[in-house]
Formats: sequence, C-alpha cells, structure tokens
Amino acid sequence: MSVTYVPVQWNRNKWVYDAVLLAVIAIYIAVFLRLGTPEVTRPIDGAILRMRAFGTCAFFLLTAILCIGPLARLDRRFLPLLYNRRHFGVLTAAVAWTHATYVYGWYFNFTPFNRLEALLSSSSAFGQVLGFPIEALGIFALAILLILAATSHDFWLSFLTAPVWKALHLLIYLAYAAIVAHVALGYLQDAENPVFVVLFAGGAVLVAGLHAAAWWVGRRAIDAAEWVDVAAPREIPEGRARIVQLAERERVAVFRYKGNMFSALSNACAHQNGPLGEGRILYGCVTCPWHGFQYRMRDGRAPAPFTEQIPTYVLRLHEGRVQVHRQANPPGTDVAPLVVPMEVMG
Amino acid sequence: MAANLIWGAQIYLGIGAVVALAFLTVGLGRVDAQARGVWVFRPLLVPGVLLIWPLVVLRWAALEWQAGEGQGRFRPPLAAQSRAALVLALVIPAIIAGALAIRQDVPTDAAAVQIEPPR
Repeated sequence: MSVTYVPVQWNRNKWVYDAVLLAVIAIYIAVFLRLGTPEVTRPIDGAILRMRAFGTCAFFLLTAILCIGPLARLDRRFLPLLYNRRHFGVLTAAVAWTHATYVYGWYFNFTPFNRLEALLSSSSAFGQVLGFPIEALGIFALAILLILAATSHDFWLSFLTAPVWKALHLLIYLAYAAIVAHVALGYLQDAENPVFVVLFAGGAVLVAGLHAAAWWVGRRAIDAAEWVDVAAPREIPEGRARIVQLAERERVAVFRYKGNMFSALSNACAHQNGPLGEGRILYGCVTCPWHGFQYRMRDGRAPAPFTEQIPTYVLRLHEGRVQVHRQANPPGTDVAPLVVPMEVMG
Repeated sequence: MAANLIWGAQIYLGIGAVVALAFLTVGLGRVDAQARGVWVFRPLLVPGVLLIWPLVVLRWAALEWQAGEGQGRFRPPLAAQSRAALVLALVIPAIIAGALAIRQDVPTDAAAVQIEPPR
C-alpha cells in the first residue's frame, strides 16, 4: 500500500520475522553438520554433508511455508505467520540454490566435459522409476523457486494483476511435488537413518493432510438466486463479516459496524487477494488480515493517498434477513450502507 | 541434447536481458504510475524479467494498448487453488508410498569387496 515502490518494505515485525528465520536456518545447518549422517570418514565427504544439510533445510523450509496457508485457513491464530511469507520463500530459494551449487560443484567438478552438460546428461533413464534422473526433478523445482522468488516484489503483483500473480505462484505446489519425488527417488532409496525418513515422510504427509483438511472445510454451497441470503442481522458479530460464496470464483464479505449498519465488499483484497472477510474494521475501514491494506466500507476505496479499489455490493433486508445482490458493482462504487432498524436487530 | 538445452537457455536469457533493459528503462514508467521516477528498486526486477520475459512482454503490450481486465482483476483463482491443493494432497502420499515400495534394501549378508584403484 505504497505510493511509490521501495526495494523492501521493512518494519519492526519483518525484521524480527526475518531474524528468526535466519537464526533457525543457521542453527539447523550447524546442528546438521555437527550431528548429521556419520559418513564423514574422509575430508572429501564434508561437501556431501553440506549438500545434504542445505538440501534438507530447503525441504523443511518449504514444508513449513506450505503448512502456513492451510493452517491460517483452519485457525485464525496462525494468520500472523502469513505476514512476510514472501521473505520466507526468498530465503528458501537461496538455501535451495546453495544446495544445488554444492551438487554442481562437487559431483561434476572433475568432469572433462562442460559441467552443465555433464549435469544434464549424467542420467537419462527417464523411462524407469527406480533410477529416475532426480537431478532433473531438482532442477525443475529450483527453477520454479527462483521464478517465485524473483517475482515476489510488490511490483509484480501490481503489474501482473493478483489473479495472474497468484496463478503463477500456485507453481509452488508443482515444485513441492517435484522436491518430494527428488528426495523419495534419491536419498530416501538408500537412507539408513530412520530419523530422516520419518521427518521427511511426516513433513510431506502433514502438508498433504493440512491441504486436504483446508479444502474440506473451505467447501461452500453456491446459491444461484439474484438475491443471496447472508444471515440474520444479529448473527454477524460487530466489526466482523460473514463470507458468502456467490460463484465458483467470487466471494463477498458482508460487514456489520456501528451496531446496525451493514456493507458488502469483495472478499478479495486488491493487493494479494487476501480474505478481507477475515479482517477487522479499524478506523472505519476494513483491514486485510494478510498485509493490512485498508478499504472504506461505503465505496471499497483505500483511504488517500492510496489508490486501491475493490468491488462493492448492494444489500437489502428481506423478511428479517440480510441479503446481497449477486451482481458486483464496479470497483470503488459508492453504496449507502444498509441500516437495519433497532427493533429488527433485537 | 544437453548442449542444445544449454544453448536454448542462453538464447532465452539473452532475449530476457534485452527485454529487461527496454522494460526497466523505458516501459516501466509508462505502464506503472508508482514506478515513475523511482529507480532504486528496479535492479531487483531484473531476475524476474529474465525468467518470465514472455509474460512481461504480453502484459506490457496489454497495458500500452489499455486493455483493461475489468472485474477479472478482483476475481481470485480460488477454484484453481482449491483443486491444486487437493491434487497435491493426493499426489504427495502416493509418491512417498511408491518410493518406499520400490526401495531396494542393501543385502546385509553380502561380503564387502575392496575396490582397487585403476593402474
């Protein structure tokens, strides 16, 4: 929500968030190098140990990143972890890149051919499962991580538009599946340490389970009527919203404020499609729970000097219930709030 | 094959460099009001343009010709994300179960063989 772009939008919370992340990574690498697989019988094996330290670190970081989204959807207390998740992703890409440089710099360091050519042609058994070229899976996943890290600046969100940016960043699922296959068909095939097998499989299955649970909880019925039922006025808590699914790709958030006033806005924040309906009304504006973008209740416009706008909707009171018209107004359209008589509010 | 892949990647990144130079010096200020007169953040965008320059060119052209996306900008790809998450939830256990099923444990009763260095 800036007037002009800056390289990185730092604040105290982001400094703390990033400092904790860096500390966790440093501690993990140090502990792994100290207690890692006891195969260091000769000095040269240290390179392999460092390669595995950064590789497993990248896997567990990505596992944590992918757990945050569904956890926040299942329980609002995890929402703060979503803040600054892009810095988390960039750090993960850097750790994965370090892992790749160890692989490239160790296994292909003494080849008489071009090292990149040797890396790409070292295994070509794409027709078999056992012995599948895991290097290709790793390169594929790393390429996605680099694309996502390189397009993480706010500019890209604005330039590509939130739906395109979000669709691009859904590639993270493909990257994670490729990384799981990279490890499962590689190190897992000869790993003798059960601790790693349990942590690896446990982490991956946790990601799968949380996504399945979030999908199950997030299913909502779609009402095809022109006026869609929302709730009885008193059922919506003061300062909060009820989210209604209008179409497969459209949700509206109906807010209650000042006791008996109701306004409806698109549930998708113009910044990163954050769920506005899970946000609070602060200083007369709904505040996105993800990054704090704010919009006025009446017209869906961000307060000056900011310029973001989101669509608004028309509400009515029908037989004692709040209903929303399914046709969205153009972004920024002023709509008078629905004022429910106090006798109806009860 | 590997040499061709590397050659193709070099060509792709080379075109990306040309696009990055043009877009970040000329195009950016024309299509994004928040970027006008602001230069310090532009080097951060170079890797992104190098990697996804075809998308950058398409979007740049659309903005130059004022092709607005209307309401579509505010419609999140919720359905796609939900389905993708479900597919991920199914694929991950399958990969791990499959990998563990085909795993060949090293025969522990095999005698160790000392490998001689080449002479």
